[in-house]
Amino acid sequence: MGTSFAAEEEHDKPHGYNISDNVDILAEIMSRLDGRSLGVAACVCRVWYAVCNRDSVWEALCDRHVSGGDAGPGTRSVVRALGGYRRLYRLCVGPVLDRLTGSTGPDRWTGARADSVEVRGNVSLSLSLSLFSIDCYERLSGGSLRPASLLFLSKPVDVS
Amino acid sequence: MGPYPPSSGSEIDGLLARVGYRIRPSDLRHVAHGLERLDSAMVGGDNRFGDSDAVHYNPSDLAAWVDSMLSESTSQAAAEPTLPLSDGAWMAQIIPQLNQQHHHQMAAIAARQRKEEEDSGIRLVHLLMGCADAVQRGDSRLAASLLDEMQVELTRMSTSFGIGKVAGYFVDALRRRLYSATDPYSSADSLVEYEILYHHFYEACPYLKFAHFTANQAILEAFDGYDRVHVIDFSLMQGLQWPALIQALALRPGGPPFLRITGIGPPSSNGRDELREIGIKLAELARSVHVRFAFRGVAATHLDDVRPWMLHVGRGEAIAVNSVLQLHRLLGDPGKQSAIDTVLNWVVDLRPKIVTVVEQEADHNKPGFLDRFTEALFYYSTVFDSLEAKSGLAQQTPTAEMYLQRELCNIVCCEGSDRVERHEPLANWRTRLGQSGLIPVHLGSNAFKQASMLLTLFSAEGYCVEEVDGCLLLGWHSRPLISASAWRAGDHADDYVAPDDITLVDRSSIANNNNNNENNFS
Repeated sequence: MGTSFAAEEEHDKPHGYNISDNVDILAEIMSRLDGRSLGVAACVCRVWYAVCNRDSVWEALCDRHVSGGDAGPGTRSVVRALGGYRRLYRLCVGPVLDRLTGSTGPDRWTGARADSVEVRGNVSLSLSLSLFSIDCYERLSGGSLRPASLLFLSKPVDVS
Repeated sequence: MGPYPPSSGSEIDGLLARVGYRIRPSDLRHVAHGLERLDSAMVGGDNRFGDSDAVHYNPSDLAAWVDSMLSESTSQAAAEPTLPLSDGAWMAQIIPQLNQQHHHQMAAIAARQRKEEEDSGIRLVHLLMGCADAVQRGDSRLAASLLDEMQVELTRMSTSFGIGKVAGYFVDALRRRLYSATDPYSSADSLVEYEILYHHFYEACPYLKFAHFTANQAILEAFDGYDRVHVIDFSLMQGLQWPALIQALALRPGGPPFLRITGIGPPSSNGRDELREIGIKLAELARSVHVRFAFRGVAATHLDDVRPWMLHVGRGEAIAVNSVLQLHRLLGDPGKQSAIDTVLNWVVDLRPKIVTVVEQEADHNKPGFLDRFTEALFYYSTVFDSLEAKSGLAQQTPTAEMYLQRELCNIVCCEGSDRVERHEPLANWRTRLGQSGLIPVHLGSNAFKQASMLLTLFSAEGYCVEEVDGCLLLGWHSRPLISASAWRAGDHADDYVAPDDITLVDRSSIANNNNNNENNFS
């Protein structure tokens, strides 16, 4: 997806329009991406990195995949307090979606594969938040309880 | 190929004739070889014998039968395309056949090894039963000799997974019972260790998470509409159950209530006030999500040392009592008076809106040692099996297993007041809790859905949740291992009235009260 943006840039250069000049539109576009693409987009340049790190972008992503309960201002403040939507996606929603759609291993990082396998399926809001709150709580200890309760969600690393 | 002529000179073997086989002694060696080849051909995996039309040979003519079965298999092998046109093609034909034969031989060897291990496992189980029986009868000499035999048997199989591992733990436990009288895990150091093991067990498998999430759902539903709520936790451990409840209360439509948590736990040995530290952490979490919160810690070695006045229950509060794997410790030998009745009485007197009870689904409190041992063997085999299945052998969970090993050891080695792991099945708990005056509350479909969703997140597929009469049971391959149920006090005109009113605590500070009973430091 990064390449198509670059192509557009090249094409539009004579007109003097650069998407990176208009970060709000960029944010709007980013908020429609899936998790993997957001990660890739964040590596493009500093401007894009800053936009991709906006919690509102990840909030939009989570809202698309999370069902049950109203994603209102109350939820937003709780999620922000517990660590933010980006962390919520990384720790809870993302791995759960992976588990539900059965995607595995190195294929995850192939852009082509990410396009063709549309991430379907919904994660329960209450379950994600419960798991997220446990993670936040474990981090509060500052060392005595290493945050590991969510390890069961991530894939085991094959070091063979 | 016709049958051999009945008797051309030599006699028919008398012993085999008595069981129905007609064969001459001179043919025995040939038949034995034939049977071996037949065995390896069948085990080789190619289902040749299913291919042809069924032709029945009379097996009482053993020699003839073996020969005809063998010729059938070899003729099928020969029937494979053998029309080589050139040397190269001929070689290409021969080599796959050779490989296939080699493959068959390897498969036969592997199958034989598996069968040997299986036999070893079955032998081990029989030896375990025999040893337990000897222990029950008081025959320590026989028990000791069986222990040695089992030790030898264990060296013949892998003790890193499967029946070998479970049997190893049980053999250790039996040895402890025979040779050392005391509970190896009663020291103060082991308490700290226990908390670490608990945390690993929490991470490794869904049983504790299921317990916490189901109980929280019931508590959340019971607290609906109340502005002041009080949770009494019979075993705080690291307070892992409560962040999720705090978060759920924060998001409650209508706003969060004022939440108080009273956590009961053992007194800390190393000078730190662990209960208070957990309370501080929970308070910090609650503060960050804007839930008014207060915490009190009650330090007690045994649950029956706790008295209701220590809990400082306030007027007008909705009370939830939460017991995860604690009530069974209050039981004694069946039929005798035990602390459970006292504790249940004061629980009922608190008039709780909800009492959540999670217990192991097993009968480990039978008076007879052999019965208890057998039950424990099957129960813990299933639990260890579920631990193993998680991500295969690549992720061993030794610390989670140590947690289970302690329970197992207590059931096998200890007697009397030392034995605290007195698990009883849900039916018994239902009767007992019903008799004490509590009314069952059906765990709703939300709890069931949440439990099912939780299970889909665990990589091992074998866990199952079922709902029985409003209680949820989590099990492995249709053997229930842990049960969660909810109860409430009956409807009475007057609620529990505390002797003195409790003052509201500012949300940025916590109330803490340590009640150490001196006579527990024995």
